[in-house]
Amino acid sequence: MKEKSSVSVLLNGILKENPVLVLILGTCPTLATTTTVKGAVGMGLAAMCVLICSNVFISLLRKRIPESMRIPCYIVIIAGFVTIVKMIVQAYLPELYETLGVYLDLITVNCIILGRAEMFANKNPVVASALDGIGMGLGFTLALTMMSTIREVFGAGSFFGIEIPFMANYKIEFFTKAPGGLLVYGLLIAFIYAVTHGKAPLKKSFSCEGCPNAANCQGGSCSEKGDEN
Amino acid sequence: MESFKLLIIILLSSVLVDNYVLSRFLGICPFLGVSKKIDQAVGMGVAVTVVMLLATAATWPIQKFVLDTLGLGYLQNIAFILIIATLVQILELVLKKFSPSLYKGLGVYLPLITTNCAVLGVTINNIIDGYSFIESMVSSLGCGLGFLLAMVLFSGIRSRIDDTKVPAPFRGLAVTLIAASFISLAFMGFSGIVESIFA
Amino acid sequence: MKTYIKNLAVFVCICSVITLLLAATNFITAPVIEENQNAAANAALLQVMPEGKGFETADISTFSLPATVTEVHKETSGLGYVVKLTTAGYGSDFVIMCGVNSDGVVTGAVCLSSNETLSKEKTYGENFTDKDAAGVEAVDTISGATKTTEAYKNAVKDALNAAIILGGGSVDIRTEEEILADNLDAAFPAGEKAFEKLFMVDLIEGVDAVYEATNKAGYVFVSGEQFIGVNADGTVVTEGVTDTALYSDAVAAIKASTLEDIDISAYEGLEKTVVSAKKTASGNFVLETKGAGYGIKGGDEYHPASGEYIIVRVSVTPDFRIIDCLTVSEAETDGLGDACADESFYSQFVGKTDENYKEIDAISGATLTTNGYTQAIERAFSAITTMNGGAR
Repeated sequence: MKEKSSVSVLLNGILKENPVLVLILGTCPTLATTTTVKGAVGMGLAAMCVLICSNVFISLLRKRIPESMRIPCYIVIIAGFVTIVKMIVQAYLPELYETLGVYLDLITVNCIILGRAEMFANKNPVVASALDGIGMGLGFTLALTMMSTIREVFGAGSFFGIEIPFMANYKIEFFTKAPGGLLVYGLLIAFIYAVTHGKAPLKKSFSCEGCPNAANCQGGSCSEKGDEN
Repeated sequence: MESFKLLIIILLSSVLVDNYVLSRFLGICPFLGVSKKIDQAVGMGVAVTVVMLLATAATWPIQKFVLDTLGLGYLQNIAFILIIATLVQILELVLKKFSPSLYKGLGVYLPLITTNCAVLGVTINNIIDGYSFIESMVSSLGCGLGFLLAMVLFSGIRSRIDDTKVPAPFRGLAVTLIAASFISLAFMGFSGIVESIFA
Repeated sequence: MKTYIKNLAVFVCICSVITLLLAATNFITAPVIEENQNAAANAALLQVMPEGKGFETADISTFSLPATVTEVHKETSGLGYVVKLTTAGYGSDFVIMCGVNSDGVVTGAVCLSSNETLSKEKTYGENFTDKDAAGVEAVDTISGATKTTEAYKNAVKDALNAAIILGGGSVDIRTEEEILADNLDAAFPAGEKAFEKLFMVDLIEGVDAVYEATNKAGYVFVSGEQFIGVNADGTVVTEGVTDTALYSDAVAAIKASTLEDIDISAYEGLEKTVVSAKKTASGNFVLETKGAGYGIKGGDEYHPASGEYIIVRVSVTPDFRIIDCLTVSEAETDGLGDACADESFYSQFVGKTDENYKEIDAISGATLTTNGYTQAIERAFSAITTMNGGAR
C-alpha cells in the first residue's frame, strides 16, 4: 500500500498535475529557457534540485516553522538553495551558467517551488516530500524538454546542439524568438487539452493560476487578500 | 548630454525593445492572469512600477556598499528577495494606513508582487549590466512602464478574445498565449530603432 | 509578544543556517569559478600566444607606451607580452590583440571588434604571425581596405614597440603627425610649433608641400625627406641648403601670388559643375568643382532631390597636371565615404594628370563616393578645356 502511494506521488507531478502543462506554473522559465534543449534540460534539472532540497528541508522543519512566518522562511530557504545550485553550476558547468544567465537566479521566484512548499512539503513527511519534489521536477523538466525540442528542431534545425541534416536547411527562426515561445506554449496546451478531452483540470479563468500565490489560496480568492505574505 | 542620451536609450529600449514581459518573459504570470480588465491591468502595472523603483533604490546601494565591500556576493539572491518582500509589506501597511483609497486601487496587487519575477529580475539585471545608480533607476522605470504598457495593451485584446468563439482546445489560456505571441511579434519590430534614434 | 520573538528567533535561525550553507558552498566553488574565469580570459590570450602557460596583467602606468596600447598581459614564464590596442580604423575604432615574444617576433594578431566592415581583417592578422619588425613592415595592405589594414599594421608595429619598451629598450613611438610637427619645428623654430599647410597653386621644383607658420614668420618647404625653413623675407634658416635662391624665389612667388577670378557664367553649362574658378599669374587654374557622391539622393546629378555635393578644390597646370588637391566639403556616410576628407585620400591626386587621375586607391566600402570624387576632378579638367575654348 505504501509502495503504491509513493509511486502515485511521483507520477502525480509528471502526469496528473504537471506543473507546466496542467497547473500552468513557472511560465517564465518555460518560455525563456526553451530555445535550446540543452538550456531547457539544464533549467529543469536545476529547478528540480532546488525543489527536492527545499521540499526536504521544509518538510523537516514543518513543525518548527511558525505558521505566521512561514512564507518568509520558505523564501529564504528557497533563495538559499537557488544560490547553492547557481554556484555549483557556475563552477562545474560554466557553459550552462552562461546560457541560463539571470533565469537561474529567478528560480527563487518560480511559483512551482513556493507552491509545492506550501501545498505539499509542509503537510507531508520527508520521504513523500522528496518524492513529490522529484516528480514535480521531472514533470517540469519533461515539459521544458518537449517545448524546447519543438523550438530547437524547427527554429535552429538541431537537437541538443547536434544538427539535423534536413531541418538545418529550413530553419524557421521565429521559433527561437520570443513570440515563437509563446505560440508553441499555447499550441502545446491546446494539444494537451485536445488529447485529454478536456480532462486536464484547466480552469477557464486564470485570475488565479497565473498568480504565484495561487497555491496559497486555492479557492480563487487570491485577489481579495494575500496577507499570509 | 551624452549621458542623458544614454539614459533615454536605456529607458526606451527597456520599454519597447527588451520589454520584460514580451521579450524576456519576466512577469508573465500576472500578465496572463491579471490583465483581463483595463483598470486591473493599470493597477497592477502601476504597483509593479512603484515596487521596481523602490526595490532598485534599496538593492543597488546594498549590493554596492554592503555585499560587494564585504565580499558577500553570494547572498545577493536572499538579500534581494527579502528586501523586496519587506518593501512590499511596508508599502502595503503604509498605503492601508495613509491612503485607503489608493490601497483599494493598488493594495490588492501588492502581495502578488513579491514573487513576481520581473521585480527580482530587474534588480539583478541592473547589477549584472553594471549600471550606475541613476541608470539603474531609469532602467527600472523603463521596465515598469514596459510592463504597464504590455498589460494595458493586452487587456484590450483579452476582452475581445473573451467575446469570440474559440475552438474548445484553444479556449482559455491557449488562445491567450497565442494572442500574446502576436503582440510580442509586433514588439520585435522595435528592435534596432532605439539605437538609431540619435545616430 | 512572546510568540513574536519566538517566531523571529526561528526565522533568524533559518537565515543563519542557510547563510552557513551558502558560505560553505562558496568556499568550495569560489576557487573553481575563479579558475574558470581565468581560463576563459586566458583562452583569448592564447589565441595570439599559443605557447603561453599563464598570463598576468602588467602594470603599464610607469611606461610611456604608444598611445594605442590599452592593456598588456605578461606571459608568466617570460615568453613575452600580449598587447591589446585600440586603433582608429574606418570611422569607428577597433581593437586588436597582438602577442609578441621576447625576441621581438609576433606570435599572433587578432582583431577583436565585430565590426562588419572589418570582416576581411579577421584573417588579415594571420599575415603577421612569426614576423619580426622588418617582416611586419613588408606585409602588404589590402587594396580597397587600405586605411583599415594600414591602421592594423601600425597597431602591430605599436605592439612590437610596446614589447621593446616593456623589456627595457627604447624606440621612437611618435605618430606620423608628431613626427611631422617635430620636423617642422626643427626646420623653423621661429614658427613656434604652429604651422598650416598651404594650398599650392604653382609648381615649385622638388617641393612636395609648403607649410606656413601661423604667426606669419616664415615657411617650411618639404622636399622629400628634407625640411627647409625659410624666413618671411626669403632667407633660408636651415643649414646645409645649397640652392637657397630657389626657396627665396618661392617665398617671393607665394607672397606675390594673386588669383584672378574667372567669370564662369560666361561659359555655358559650367555653373552646373563648377563652384568657382581662378587663374594664377603663371596661368595655372584653381577650381572648386562639384562631384555627386553617395550623399546625392534622387533626381539627377545636377538637380538632386536632397543631399550635398562633394566640393573639391584643385589647382591644375595648363597642361593638365594636378598641383594640389583638397576636399572643401562633403556630406558622405560617417565612417565610410567621409574618408574622402582625409588628406591620405585626396593627396593621392597630387601630381596626377588627366591621363591617370583615376589610378588611385578607392575608399573601401564607398565606391560611389570615390566615383563622385573623380567626377569632380574630371569636371575640373573639362572646365579648363571649356575655358580654353575647347582646346586642350
